[in-house]
Amino acid sequence: MNALLLTRTHARIALLDLFRSPGYVVPTVVFPTLFYALFDLQYARTDASVASATTLAFMAFAVIGVCLYQFGVGIAAERGRPWERYLRTLPASIAVRFGARIVTALVFGLLAAGCVAAFSRAATPIDLDSMQWLRAGIYVVLGGIPFVLMGVTIGYWVSPRAAVPVATAANLLLAYAGGLWLPPQYLPKFVAHLSPYLPTRQFADLLWSVSHGSSAAHALSGLAIYTAIFATIAAAGYRRDERRRYA
Amino acid sequence: MILSLRNVRKSYGATRALDDLSLEVDRGEVVAVLGPNGAGKTTAIEIAIGLRGADGGDVRLFGRSPRDPNTRLRLGVTPQESGFPDALSVEEIVRFAIAHYPHPAEPRAILTAFGLDALAQRRAGALSGGELRRLAVALAFAGNPDLVVLDEPTTGLDVESRRRLWDIVRDYAVDRSVLLTTHYLEEAQALATRVVVVDSGRVLFDGSTCELRRRFGARRLSYAGKDGHVAVTIDDTDEYVRNLVRDGVAFSNLEIVPPTLEDAFLTVTGGRK
Repeated sequence: MNALLLTRTHARIALLDLFRSPGYVVPTVVFPTLFYALFDLQYARTDASVASATTLAFMAFAVIGVCLYQFGVGIAAERGRPWERYLRTLPASIAVRFGARIVTALVFGLLAAGCVAAFSRAATPIDLDSMQWLRAGIYVVLGGIPFVLMGVTIGYWVSPRAAVPVATAANLLLAYAGGLWLPPQYLPKFVAHLSPYLPTRQFADLLWSVSHGSSAAHALSGLAIYTAIFATIAAAGYRRDERRRYA
Repeated sequence: MILSLRNVRKSYGATRALDDLSLEVDRGEVVAVLGPNGAGKTTAIEIAIGLRGADGGDVRLFGRSPRDPNTRLRLGVTPQESGFPDALSVEEIVRFAIAHYPHPAEPRAILTAFGLDALAQRRAGALSGGELRRLAVALAFAGNPDLVVLDEPTTGLDVESRRRLWDIVRDYAVDRSVLLTTHYLEEAQALATRVVVVDSGRVLFDGSTCELRRRFGARRLSYAGKDGHVAVTIDDTDEYVRNLVRDGVAFSNLEIVPPTLEDAFLTVTGGRK
């Protein structure tokens, strides 16, 4: 069977299942926008450059949340389930099953980030042109990759019970210290020192390069390093679970 | 050869699950694996379908490794019970399974065969235990595979659904093969062309149900004698009757009950079920 078609089939079935759970869809897609409205809208309303900086940061925050929850919590909860076991007996490779997970997370990540962007366009004087929005869209996907792998890392190394608190803590701490909520210059001093090395900050820098017109190379290379690190830990976690459950 | 496990060994830590187990399934066979709980049936099946690897020995599915997803294009397996995504409908789940196979069955035909027609649009989360079981078994046949593996297929099914499934299995196995585990000896009797009795990770018996009964089941003989009812359990009832006649014993209402599969099974496993 064609692996791409099969990946689509697996992603479709996962998306159908999730889209029919309003309790999952609404918080996942709407919460980042709600946070944005509560925290940053008051500053963004009066200034186009503040609007673009905060909007882009919250688009990153939206994607990171989906990656950590969709993968981290999702994998931790599902890895022992009978349905996972059944999927393993089908003629579908690991690549198909992982590919489908990535597609599923991307769909929700883009929806959540798109929701932030749409709200900002309606409620703030943000003025990015269509090419800039397109670049932001591409960067949202690229920058999401290390966080997908971070989610997989949580999913395979943390127990189902601990996955929600661990993913939440990672999400909130990294978002804060990475300057996604507050501009980095307002962070406490020692956090501000640490901030440039965090993947969340690099994700934000990547997106800010769209409005600043600055180079994305530095942020991209930082994210590439995190991608390599989390890919290694995630793969080790996957093999560990594989040995335990299916050796 | 459809499936062959040769001298397969498997341990979980210090526990030895399979100890030199060998098992074969040929085209057209329905092979039932019987054994007490913890005998190693599930481990043997999991190794056969590529879910687990063996520690030693040789495992061939269609002549290849079952760990390779492409080998499983000709294999159909039942999911374990109540393991479906709740928000998906019966038809969506069947179509999902079908999408994996090169020459699948018609979705409608599968739904009809397993009595799921009226439930096609029902969400998995709203199905009863028996309905879930029927859906699970249906998925094993959905890809029209050359080997169907059913782990305890009729546990939780009512009598009618069970008989219906038996008919399907028998029809299916005419030119293809079925490997199943079961706790119901009646089921093995009704379906299996061959039974494999497993205990402590070893094969204790491999042959037809008739052979199993003949070799391990004693007959029960009873009659009304001069001093009342007499009942004995012995291997050679013919010899016993000849002796009664030769000795001139008065008897009436002579009854000989053939050995049951259950008796034979219990003899093989030393009374463990």
